[in-house]
Amino acid sequence: MTNASPEPLLALSNINTFYGQAQVHFDLSINVARGHIVCLLGGNASGKSTTMKIILGLVKPRSGEVTFDGASLIGLTTPQIVRRGIASVPEARRLFADMSVRENILMGAFVRNDREAIAQDLDKMLTLFPKLGQRLSQRAGSLSGGEQQMVAMARALMSRPRMIVMDEPTMGLSPLYVDRVLELIRTINQEGVSVFMVEQNASLALEIAHEAYVLQTGKIVLSGSARALKDDPRVRDAYLGGAEAA
Amino acid sequence: MSSWLDYTINGLIVGNVYALVAVGLALIFGVSRLINFAQGSIYLVGAYIGWVAVVQLHTPLPLTIIVVAVAAALVGLIIERFGLRPLQNSVRIAPLLATIGISFVLDQLVMLTFSPNPRALPSQLPDVRFQVGGGTIGPLDLLIAGVGITSALLLFVFLRYSKLGWAVRATAQDRDAAMQMGVDVNRVNQAVFGIAAALGGVSGLLVGMYYNQIDTAMSLQATLKGVVAEVVGGAGNVPGAVIGSLLLGLVESYGVAVFGTSYRNLFAFLLLVVVLVLRPNGLFASARQAPPEPLTGTFIAPSRPVRIPRWALLVAVGVFAVLPLLPVSFYVLQTLINAWLLGMLALSLTLVAGTIGQVSLGHAALLAIGAYTSALLSLTFAVPVGLAIIAGGLMSAALGTALISPSFRLRGHYVSIATLAIGEIVSLVILNWESVTRGPIGISGIPPLSLFGYELISPTSIYWFSFAVMVVLALLQARLLSSHLGRSFRAIRDDDVAARAYGLSLNRYKSLAFIFGGFAAGVSGGIAAHLYSYINHETFNTQQSILALTVVILGGLGNVVGAIVGAVALVGLPEVFRIAAEYRILIYGIVLLLLVRFRPQGLLGTI
Ligand SMILES: Nc1ncnc2c1ncn2[C@@H]1O[C@H](COP(=O)(O)OP(=O)(O)O)[C@@H](O)[C@H]1O
Ligand SMILES: [Mg+2]
Repeated sequence: MTNASPEPLLALSNINTFYGQAQVHFDLSINVARGHIVCLLGGNASGKSTTMKIILGLVKPRSGEVTFDGASLIGLTTPQIVRRGIASVPEARRLFADMSVRENILMGAFVRNDREAIAQDLDKMLTLFPKLGQRLSQRAGSLSGGEQQMVAMARALMSRPRMIVMDEPTMGLSPLYVDRVLELIRTINQEGVSVFMVEQNASLALEIAHEAYVLQTGKIVLSGSARALKDDPRVRDAYLGGAEAA
Repeated sequence: MSSWLDYTINGLIVGNVYALVAVGLALIFGVSRLINFAQGSIYLVGAYIGWVAVVQLHTPLPLTIIVVAVAAALVGLIIERFGLRPLQNSVRIAPLLATIGISFVLDQLVMLTFSPNPRALPSQLPDVRFQVGGGTIGPLDLLIAGVGITSALLLFVFLRYSKLGWAVRATAQDRDAAMQMGVDVNRVNQAVFGIAAALGGVSGLLVGMYYNQIDTAMSLQATLKGVVAEVVGGAGNVPGAVIGSLLLGLVESYGVAVFGTSYRNLFAFLLLVVVLVLRPNGLFASARQAPPEPLTGTFIAPSRPVRIPRWALLVAVGVFAVLPLLPVSFYVLQTLINAWLLGMLALSLTLVAGTIGQVSLGHAALLAIGAYTSALLSLTFAVPVGLAIIAGGLMSAALGTALISPSFRLRGHYVSIATLAIGEIVSLVILNWESVTRGPIGISGIPPLSLFGYELISPTSIYWFSFAVMVVLALLQARLLSSHLGRSFRAIRDDDVAARAYGLSLNRYKSLAFIFGGFAAGVSGGIAAHLYSYINHETFNTQQSILALTVVILGGLGNVVGAIVGAVALVGLPEVFRIAAEYRILIYGIVLLLLVRFRPQGLLGTI
């Protein structure tokens, strides 16, 4: 797994997206190789979340192509895309606040019908996220931010996805949870799930990513291996110095 | 004769019936943030299907209930599939307007099929009463309670233990997140509409049996009561809807016990307005809970309005002004007089709903206030008619604004509900305040129109008078809209949060819009009173409010010329095509549906 395989698992090519008159993406192209963690970095309002929504079919690009495992996702509905094997951890987690933790996690298996295997996977989640064990019957909305993030990740894994897309998974978490989340992403990835994550916090993301792209007002301005980007002065200036990119 | 226990039992039974409607509304609101104004029509359809089953097919009771539930569910599925799903990506007010259109169509279809005359719907149950404590209870009461409890249990099991039920709950809490779990929201919508319709239909059947009478007026009443119960319980909250319904049933029943039958609805709507103003999230919303997002933001389809050159407008005004001098029949003049009166109401509504974005469903109340004020002043105090009409306009402006002002902080759907309720309250106060309004008898012998002592009796003079008043009002409004005031109005409509951030006082601007709009509508009502010479509490009803809304959408929301064009079209075209009166409401409903679907910006475009 030193080189990206020739055909990426997920490929966005030449995406142009608009909200009304306002263009959000300009010829955006991103590849996620099989088995890799790919990170999309960018400041506020640069179009990161919209990229996630394009992949999930929640927003339609005006032009461009999205392929997953060689097949186009354009024109598919969100549930159809999910059934192809893409799970998501949305921005701000978006749990079903009034449902219990157990129900939230099981909602992740909505596309599956193998009851026994689902029950086994639930047990597996509880070993992966041991803290959730005592919280299973609690309202999801009553958990702390870090615990909610765990639920969101467990929920995403329950569909046995080939790829998970995550929108700022460390946002608003205490440092302890940030480390835990990054570690979990790595674990998930080692079990064979490709990860595409959107982050503002470049130094954290580059620690675990294989490749990264830098988005600025809708354009990819830099891309490459995470190691190279970490040492790139432009990234250091823009993101690692703690200053927000405009 | 009747004990308190009887009133309590009655309240709970009626509450059960409301609950069947309200639970459906809550499910639908939960999943798609839509208040389904067609819910009452499904209830009506249920009652009439029940009548066919019982009276013509002689089905046994259990079968009757099943037939009604299945048939009503089918109607619900059809509404969802063909009426609402095509509107998914359209402006956010569109589905609400579509349900209003659908309810008109369904009600009229029932009326055309079965005639408007009430029919008896026998309950097929033995007519015995059992003594319970100090009250009595009959088999039908038990049936209704049984159906209510069984439905609640089934619904609970469905939502809690079935996969589709989970999808419904997840979608209600976060639609996008549910989709990202692979939930097909179309299927969820379908399920919810089917269930809501089945419950609503059975409710109509039970009510028909309870009163042993069904008629087409049931529809709007059911929608209103369901909406009240649902909002009281917290929009989208299913258990809340049940409790809200029982509460509503009890409040009504005790209110009737103390004040009399004609106060029943007054209590219902007062309860609604109080809850809307004090706890818009309903009685049971926990403080933590985010308010269910009402439909906010841009209400109207953005469009480029059709520019009509000034000379063309002048020519049009000239042509209509000299029309009575040409050899046209009285019939044409009569029709156009109606159009001018409706045009004034539409001017008012296009300002309130279009320009400042408060979609009012109770606009006819402003007509009623103006009409009663003008009629009573001229009759009782011999105020000259011209002055009385102006006073009517002022009274509508003042009273209308005062009544709506507690609801100024509401947004989206809630504004429509509040205005609908206030409209009903006005009509109920007119009904009950006999010492002033003469109650159900109405006011007769209202003096004819007159100006400076000259009576306007001939159609020609009435035509000129109403046309001139309308043109003056239109000019004033156009002037108003091109000033900075008009821009502020539109800023509030498009984004009230941003408007507030710029320092615009929302309450002041909303008041101004309602004052101006109230005046125009009040004048229209005043003129109408003197034209009709007889008015009562039903002369200006919800149907007219909806007609006005259709006119305004037809012309293009916020569009002054459009309001008048819309009024002429909607009043005139049925005459041109000689459409029989009983088909007109049906046509209006269809027009509304087609507009919402294919041309939400109306004929002349929104401004
Ligand atoms: N639903 C929407 N409608 C209109 N504009 C939007 C919408 N969502 C996002 N935007 C705008 O698109 C731009 C990119 O947003 P987003 O993708 O959320 O950025 P990021 O996630 O990088 O902060 C922002 O300027 C934002 O205001
Ligand atoms: Mg974002």
